[in-house]
Amino acid sequence: MAEKNYYTIDPMGKLQCMKCRVPLEKGKAKFMYLDNGFPVELPVCPQCGFVYVPEELALGKVLAVERALEDK
Amino acid sequence: MFLEERESTHVYRQKRMFTKEELETRERLCVHEQPAFCNAACPLKLDAKAMLQAVAENDFKKALQLYEKITPFPHVLSAGCEAPCEGSCLLCRMGEGVAIRKLEQAVCAYGEKGRKGLPRMKKKKTVAIFGSGLFSLFLAGELQKKAYPVTVFCAENDLQHYFDAETGFVSARARESSLLALKGMDIQFRFQTDLGQLSSLREGFDVVCASWEAVKDCTDWEEALMYSRELKIVTGKTSGVLGAAFGAKKAALSVDRLAQNLDPSNTRGEEGTVETKLFVDLTDVKASNQCIGSGTREEAVAEAGRCIQCTCDACVKACAYLQHYKKYPRILTREIYNNVSIIMGDHMMNKPINACALCGQCSVVCPNGYDVGEICHIARQNMVTTGKMPLAPHEFALMDMLFSNHEAFLCRPQPGFEQCKYVFFPGCQAAAIAPDTVAAAYRDLCERLEGGVAIMLGCCGAICDWAGRYEMYDETKAFLDEQLKSLGSPVVIAGCPTCKKELSGHEGLVLTGIWDILTEIGLPESAKGLDTPAALHDSCGARGDRQTQDAIRGLAQRMGCTLVDTPYCADKSPCCGYGGLTQYTNREIARKMTQKCLERSELPYISYCMACRDRFAREGRESKHILELVYGTNAGSPPDISQKRYNRLSLKQELLRQIWNEETEEMDFGFNIEYSPEVTALMDDRMILKSDIIAVLQQLRQTGEAVLDGETGLCIARARLGNVTFWVKYQEIEGGYRVFGAYSHRMNVVRRQG
Ligand code: SF4
Ligand code: SF4
Ligand code: SF4
Ligand SMILES: [Zn+2]
Repeated sequence: MAEKNYYTIDPMGKLQCMKCRVPLEKGKAKFMYLDNGFPVELPVCPQCGFVYVPEELALGKVLAVERALEDK
Repeated sequence: MFLEERESTHVYRQKRMFTKEELETRERLCVHEQPAFCNAACPLKLDAKAMLQAVAENDFKKALQLYEKITPFPHVLSAGCEAPCEGSCLLCRMGEGVAIRKLEQAVCAYGEKGRKGLPRMKKKKTVAIFGSGLFSLFLAGELQKKAYPVTVFCAENDLQHYFDAETGFVSARARESSLLALKGMDIQFRFQTDLGQLSSLREGFDVVCASWEAVKDCTDWEEALMYSRELKIVTGKTSGVLGAAFGAKKAALSVDRLAQNLDPSNTRGEEGTVETKLFVDLTDVKASNQCIGSGTREEAVAEAGRCIQCTCDACVKACAYLQHYKKYPRILTREIYNNVSIIMGDHMMNKPINACALCGQCSVVCPNGYDVGEICHIARQNMVTTGKMPLAPHEFALMDMLFSNHEAFLCRPQPGFEQCKYVFFPGCQAAAIAPDTVAAAYRDLCERLEGGVAIMLGCCGAICDWAGRYEMYDETKAFLDEQLKSLGSPVVIAGCPTCKKELSGHEGLVLTGIWDILTEIGLPESAKGLDTPAALHDSCGARGDRQTQDAIRGLAQRMGCTLVDTPYCADKSPCCGYGGLTQYTNREIARKMTQKCLERSELPYISYCMACRDRFAREGRESKHILELVYGTNAGSPPDISQKRYNRLSLKQELLRQIWNEETEEMDFGFNIEYSPEVTALMDDRMILKSDIIAVLQQLRQTGEAVLDGETGLCIARARLGNVTFWVKYQEIEGGYRVFGAYSHRMNVVRRQG
């Protein structure tokens, strides 16, 4: 059974890994905080594995979850 | 150098803040919920304060509802009540008290009756009342309200005469209404009764009551119960209208108990008047006289408007934090206590716990010294102990402190001295905000004091103390003590009242303030006051330190400043929003605190804590630190967070170069970075330092790891620095980078297989 993803972003070919010179692809990643893990799908470099966290995500959903966990 | 993140959310540890008894002792200090003086004085427990408020709002219907709660015959009571509430009204202490009884009459006259409630099921137990008069009348009313089947035995011929027996003082109109009300009540009457037959007539009734006159030969009765155990009759002597009404209330309660076959003394609760410990600040209250005149509706509204709605809100009036949360200290304490006690789930009070300035103003303005700051401080330490204190709100400040006590730390004896008589400790904020002022002050002290003056640039530990990190505080304390020892344990000259307060906790340390030294040795030539009058803002760090408060005033006056008194000065001074780390944990409240400080006066502000100086200037107020005036320096417009660090470091290097002739390292990292002003502002807002940007770009240069966004044409690189991942949006330029944006998050992101 497919694991539930909390968040999915598809780079749609607009992002490129500077190191490997290849486009980022939608890939599996995980956010970890205070011993809690959240499976997500983010733009990932298929070669070196660089995971990109866009600004909107960092300041939006990620921040909200951080805050909620901090006060647990 | 990084701090450890808080513990896993799956670790469940608990420690109580204090015992239940201590919690209650603390809570009891707050008199906010104590009754108003008028309410406390009324044995019938009229909520006069609420009634007057309703009248003041022209809501006579609501007012009448409140008044009817205490008596079945409002017209009779208001016509003759002795009104002890009036004598107790706080306004009697200045001018005339509120004319409460006349207002009750107005309430009876203008208050429309509410709709009658549904008829209630009659109780099973029957009650007889013998005799007439006020006690009998009120008691009959009380008992029918309680839904007892009541039978009144009286000598009178009819209802009119029964009512008239002791109500001669009631006006004709009010009598009419009262009689009408009596007629509407479900009460049985046996007129023309020979009361001498009481003992036979009482047969068949479950509870028997009688007027005092009807039981002539009673010798043994209890006033508190209105009961004669000897005769098994609910009765007693009363005097006056209020006395009869109160007697009837007590009697009705005894009937309740007897009807349940209980002793009438059983669980009666609090009856009669109470003592109130309420405190009301009368500073802004002006004496006035009664204005009820002939008692028109308008006059009544105006008279009720004189009531000041007695309550204690001294702390909330003074403190922007308490205003923000709209909570009184007692409630706040209880919620904080519970918050700290829960092991799992959301800790809703973490934010309030971390938003208090720990300034202690409440403990001074409260008549009973309620110290919310102390409670929040204990709660913070508790959360640190149990691993529940989030690092996020305090991390920046704590890292800043580590910076002050490592990279930017400086401890040197004056050149030519191995050990010094003094050491100047200006404080981390002074070095960050006004480095030139610190340098000027140090030079002046070296020049004019005998015995050598060392310098110590660093943080006193207030930051970790405020954050509740007691272990870190102890380490800082030990570190500072060791440094001081290496200087020959000199007298510490604090440049900041908060440092002075924090350092006073060190054993065996001789401590003074630069203001005391300047008072003693006189001002330097550079000293010049402001040309215009100014408001003096006392530092919350100097609360309770009269000597410091006075010394500052003395210096300002000697420089020719005209100081204007503000409300909440000296010991009552509010915090500027920096204290307790509010500036970091809750910017909105911190800003409200600053504005609260500034609303006291339109004038320029003189302060003696650099954080106050900084925050006032940020709000656009002309703001000077007293040392800027003493040394003729100008710290200019407030620095951003990176500038604050830079200032500390460059102050250290400049002093090393100029006073100790030491070469210092160039602050150079080998490439250029350009920031637009918007980016600098954005970074300040997001608490991202230039040094963070440099670290990200340095990592980029080593790994080559970055992403190119085809849509914007910008590259984005990142680095994990301690507990935070920083992302930088940039473009390469010749010799370096131009930065277009930056953001961060604390969560760790990793690749996931499968
Ligand atoms: S000042 Fe505040 S804490 Fe003190 S009694 Fe009044 S309401 Fe309570
Ligand atoms: S001022 Fe108002 S609330 Fe205070 S004691 Fe007088 S009537 Fe009561
Ligand atoms: S901010 Fe100051 S006055 Fe307000 S509750 Fe906290 S310690 Fe008391
Ligand atoms: Zn790659």
